[in-house]
Amino acid sequence: MTAAARIIINEVKGYHNFLKFMIVLVLLAVLASAVRFIFGLGATTNMNDIYPWGLWISFDVVTAVPLAAGAFTLGAIVHCFHIKKLEPLVRPAIVTGFLGYSLVCIGLLLDLGQPHKGWHTLVYWNVHSPMFEVSMCVMAYTTVLFMEFLSPVCEKFGYHLPLRVLRWLEMPLVIAAAAISTLHQSSLGTFFLIAVDKLHNLWYNPLLPLQFWMSAIFTGMSIIILEATMVHRYLGQPDESELLEVLTKILPWVLGAYLAVKLAALAFLSHGPLFDRPALLVLFLVEVIVGLIIPMIMFMQESNREDSRMQLRGASLIIFGVVLNRFNVSMFGMIQADQVVYYPSIVESLVTIGIIAGHILFFVLLAKYFPIFEHHPETVDYSLPDHFHPLEEQVPDKGVEA
Amino acid sequence: MSNITDFSKHKTFLIDTTKCTGCRGCQVACKQWNQLGAEKTTFFSGEGYQNPPAMSEHTFTRIKFKDYQKNGQNEFAFYKEMCMHCNEPACASVCPVGAFVKTAEGPVIYNAGRCIGCRFCMIACPFGIPKYEWSKAFPLVKKCTGCYSRVKEGLQPACATTCPTAISYGSRTEMIAEAERRLKNRPKHYYPAIYGKEEAGGTSVIYLTHQPLNELGFKQVTLRPLPSYTWQALRLVPGIFLTVGGGLSLVSWFTHRKERIKREEAFKNSKVMSETAEPETKEETK
Repeated sequence: MTAAARIIINEVKGYHNFLKFMIVLVLLAVLASAVRFIFGLGATTNMNDIYPWGLWISFDVVTAVPLAAGAFTLGAIVHCFHIKKLEPLVRPAIVTGFLGYSLVCIGLLLDLGQPHKGWHTLVYWNVHSPMFEVSMCVMAYTTVLFMEFLSPVCEKFGYHLPLRVLRWLEMPLVIAAAAISTLHQSSLGTFFLIAVDKLHNLWYNPLLPLQFWMSAIFTGMSIIILEATMVHRYLGQPDESELLEVLTKILPWVLGAYLAVKLAALAFLSHGPLFDRPALLVLFLVEVIVGLIIPMIMFMQESNREDSRMQLRGASLIIFGVVLNRFNVSMFGMIQADQVVYYPSIVESLVTIGIIAGHILFFVLLAKYFPIFEHHPETVDYSLPDHFHPLEEQVPDKGVEA
Repeated sequence: MSNITDFSKHKTFLIDTTKCTGCRGCQVACKQWNQLGAEKTTFFSGEGYQNPPAMSEHTFTRIKFKDYQKNGQNEFAFYKEMCMHCNEPACASVCPVGAFVKTAEGPVIYNAGRCIGCRFCMIACPFGIPKYEWSKAFPLVKKCTGCYSRVKEGLQPACATTCPTAISYGSRTEMIAEAERRLKNRPKHYYPAIYGKEEAGGTSVIYLTHQPLNELGFKQVTLRPLPSYTWQALRLVPGIFLTVGGGLSLVSWFTHRKERIKREEAFKNSKVMSETAEPETKEETK
């Protein structure tokens, strides 16, 4: 055994048991994906010609993308709208987003029949395809997140020149992130506009892309609340509930706007019967009441907004609601009345569980080895150079009043 | 995506199900021309008498049996299931790499070399036609080619050539005219509709039936071309990109400018403060 391997093994031995469990889950998922490639999609998954899309598309892509929306939402809030005190939350959010999108790419490659031809989207453009739009955006945005993620990496290794370039690129990257995310978050909804006679009317309406985008925004914020609370509880980081309160103040507005759009679209833009399938109606009501109305009312009260525990509960409800919404749109709502019901196979489940476990594992490891939380934004000037109002003298960056 | 707008000259199948005898010669001819493998089947394994039980990677067309009663007698009605070769195909519009093409001759064909295997075409197709090679580790999509290889050489598709009674093949205008003529001449014999004339924006396969369409298993689909449903959202993409990007750039510019001015003021004030404060301190020291 080489020395390096021994060091790594000793390091892993020192991890918390929870992390070791996560490593086992990830390894199982790697094994399951090997099985998928050896035996084929038909033999290892429960997908078939009736269910061409299963758990992997519904969760690993359609649900995971909004769950990774925290980075662009927070980036825009902090850097564009200049709510600078939320800055300490940005870097963990970027790490979460980068991991999320990388895992989306992995999930998508596993699901593709011809993953080795995935690059074809870059060459054979079809601008009429929402899938083309989403794959281009996901590739572009993963690159943007990777560049944002390079900052802690360069800090860790003390690369100063790239850091300066990255600092200079920061605002363009934040704006590109928001613009690209707007496009592909909404285009995921456009996917299902083609399923006009398949998706049930409770979800099918022409405003689906707008709803997907709006729900991505509040999901992004909820994920940040969840992540910051978990990091405080289990990784010994400072309590950020005071900062999270800012998010909980914005949340009811976004939730309310989304609810209004959703109900208006349901009332005025959907065609055909709405209440003909009791099971779907229940799913719809759970999604709207538990995942939308309850957290909205919760966060309308100040006492709940300030309480760290209620923040977590509200955010969890919102995340539950969005996951259910994406499954309703991409799976449950697509099931026709006389169709057999799909459930994921062991291989499919292992891969998806492994992807979730991998996200947690890699986040903890990155936080362990890279300056994700030690970053002190108050020492950094984030303002843009103002060419319309040039300064005659060098203005010190900060702390003039002090 | 193709930019064809005139579909009148497209080669079209007119399938008169009242003339179908259920011989399934079309199924055999299709398998032969396309070199499709056999399927292991058992009787009554699907919805009814038909075999194979479902369309699949090995079966591009199939005669469905529907039994019904006429004058107290049991009768069969037949319906040929196949790709509809839509005028504006949903599969071609959603494919991220443009693997499906609506040819100028009429058939919608699939380019396996481009396909990445995402199966969006299977989600999009209102008729559930594209099938997947589930048995393979790196599967591709399979569907009726409209016998493009024959059609472009001036031949008729294999199924149309074989069919002794029910399938006519010709330009779309001719076939629709023929269907309307039959409807007009024998109104009691036919259900008064031409399936495919307007379904999904019009298709290159049209049907005449005796039974009501839904009883025979024809899917009730929208009359609007399906690509228009996604395009109405996708066409906004460049505009939204510029609006969000530009809007956020402007907002950032204003917020950052405000910040800078505030800091500058604070700096000036502090300078003024220190200037006014200086003489006093000097006096004090004197």
